[in-house]
Amino acid sequence: MNFEEEYMYEDSGNETSGDDVDFGVEADGCSHTNIQAYEEEYQFEVLSTEAIVQHMIDCIRDVNTVVQIPSTTTRILLNYFNWDKEKLMERYYDGNQDDLFKEAHVINPFKKQTTPTKIKSSKKLSGTEECDICFMVLPPAEMTGLECGHRFCYQCWNEYLTTKVMEEGVGQTIACAAHNCPILVDDQTVMRLVKDNRVRFKYQHLITNSFVECNRLLRWCPSPDCTYAVKVTYVDSRPVQCTCGHTFCFACGENWHDPVRCTILRRWIKKCDDDSETSNWIAANTKECPKCNATIEKDGGCNHMICKNQSCKADFCWVCLGPWEPHGSSWYNCNRFDEDEAKAARNAQEKSRAKLQRYLFYCNRYMNHMQSLRFEHKLYRSIKDKMEEMQQHNMSWIEVQFLKKAVDILCECRQALMYTYVFAFYLKKTNQSVIFEDNQKDLETATEMLSEYLERDITQENLIDIKQKVQDKYRYCDGRRKALLEHVHEGYEKDWWQYSET
Amino acid sequence: MANIATQRIKREFKEVIKSEEVAKCAIRVQLVDDNYTELKGEIAGPPDTPYEGGNFVLEIKVPETYPFNPPKVRFITKIWHPNISSVTGAICLDILKDQWAAAMTLRTVLLSLQALLSSAEPDDPQDAVVAKQYKDKLDMFEKTARHWTHVYAGGPCYNQEFADKIKRLEDMGVEENQARVALSSYNWDLERATEQLFSS
Repeated sequence: MNFEEEYMYEDSGNETSGDDVDFGVEADGCSHTNIQAYEEEYQFEVLSTEAIVQHMIDCIRDVNTVVQIPSTTTRILLNYFNWDKEKLMERYYDGNQDDLFKEAHVINPFKKQTTPTKIKSSKKLSGTEECDICFMVLPPAEMTGLECGHRFCYQCWNEYLTTKVMEEGVGQTIACAAHNCPILVDDQTVMRLVKDNRVRFKYQHLITNSFVECNRLLRWCPSPDCTYAVKVTYVDSRPVQCTCGHTFCFACGENWHDPVRCTILRRWIKKCDDDSETSNWIAANTKECPKCNATIEKDGGCNHMICKNQSCKADFCWVCLGPWEPHGSSWYNCNRFDEDEAKAARNAQEKSRAKLQRYLFYCNRYMNHMQSLRFEHKLYRSIKDKMEEMQQHNMSWIEVQFLKKAVDILCECRQALMYTYVFAFYLKKTNQSVIFEDNQKDLETATEMLSEYLERDITQENLIDIKQKVQDKYRYCDGRRKALLEHVHEGYEKDWWQYSET
Repeated sequence: MANIATQRIKREFKEVIKSEEVAKCAIRVQLVDDNYTELKGEIAGPPDTPYEGGNFVLEIKVPETYPFNPPKVRFITKIWHPNISSVTGAICLDILKDQWAAAMTLRTVLLSLQALLSSAEPDDPQDAVVAKQYKDKLDMFEKTARHWTHVYAGGPCYNQEFADKIKRLEDMGVEENQARVALSSYNWDLERATEQLFSS
């Protein structure tokens, strides 16, 4: 992996023209999301794995400038406090330090001199020691241990740490190999004792991972195989863009989901993932046999049902679920249709069906935009070809840039639209929600038209006309998108939105 | 088998054989095969418990990665205990799972198991039926455990009442062990045990 300094940059939130220049070279220069869509800038920094390690070292050093303890101890303490320096300092100076070290499972470095290393369990046999793991009697030079005094031979340490790292996936919290000894093995000791590079690499990975995961101000880029993390100065639901091009919400790690909020989005995702929709389908499309409760789907035929469960074989009416006998000879019609009980059953079923349809309505539209967004890369590629072709037809580079801008805006609109359906699904009907839906409809229509323009063939003759149309349309789309988002955000501020429990 | 594991077991074997507990007949280990992957352990039921006077046999399987992973141990002798399955002999003990430490040995394992026999942990049960009896009817539990110790582990306490009840079920064609499990599970209520045996 080739990590370089250039990956670390501060995003000022401004749209730099530099990004546009890149486009001519890279096909995936699509990552041009408008980050300062609203309100003030949000400061963040993208860190490579190396930079994360450096950041971790810096954190330790920061603490060590104040607290004079070994850096390995500092690391264990920091990890114990989820890398919150302030919390550590506070406890360090306010509380009982002995307790602090004990809680963090590390030996108090100030006590080291006063309690001489005692060899607790290994028996000394005239200048040699016995390793408690392999029971080999070895010269002291081949034995080692932590400050707790439990000593084992190098080979056993290596095996022990390897098992912990490779099999159990423990990093920062490996304890001494002795029974009931809580003292943690520090990183330098692990690196000193483990010989295999694979294990060392995994260990490094585990401790950086726990560093990022424990640290509120850091988040791994959720994009597959991406090794970068994003660092912020305060946690907020804001879009951040990784060096790999992926834009996501810092607070929840999902794709940037304006206008819907993290909590609602999480509910939606859970709903989509859950089998609950399968059961909704079952509720809407099936009934249970009144005798044996087997689930039955009626796929045709008359209302006289005979349960196919061999041990049941109940005769009943599909409509009222009552026994078939009283229906007499009216085989195709249930004359008990309007009885209260049947009515109630019918209502319940209709309600459940309506609910499912409502979900499917929003889900389809959500999925549809998601699908279209996935074609984004393809569209960028075809647009790039078009732009090159146009440049061969005596158009200047600058004159064809509108196409790329159009795709950028198209993608932004699609993404916003996609999440408006999540928002709308949970939204209760109010005057404001009607305005919202109008905005949504307007943006949707405009976006689809822009999409259509971009798929048209561009020839020398219609070029001027198309360019005009595309430019008009994308300006309109962008304006509508901003208006929609602003309206939703205003609603958040003024508490317009009411949610349903669906 | 990995070098460390074999070496360890060989050394431990000697340690257990030499230990003072062996002298007191409290614990014992034997080899089952020549390559030290399987051993047979024995522990004496601790005094002042329902297991007193019994001798319990254990199956010990040594994994490739020993001593960095714990040995796999289960009771071969049937036993009535909240943390040991009355059916399979599987043991619920922290040091045989996540609390295992490389510096522990067969000797410490056997001693821990012996300690488990004297102090059960009914809140962390392996056998829910036994644990419930232990918590609700301690007296009944102790009688039952003593009876099991007598039948399977050679303990001294014979229980005429229990033996009669088992005999009654056997007369109805129920296999002896099955009858014992059913009676033990229903606090030696012959009627309910019969019901359970013949309803399934």
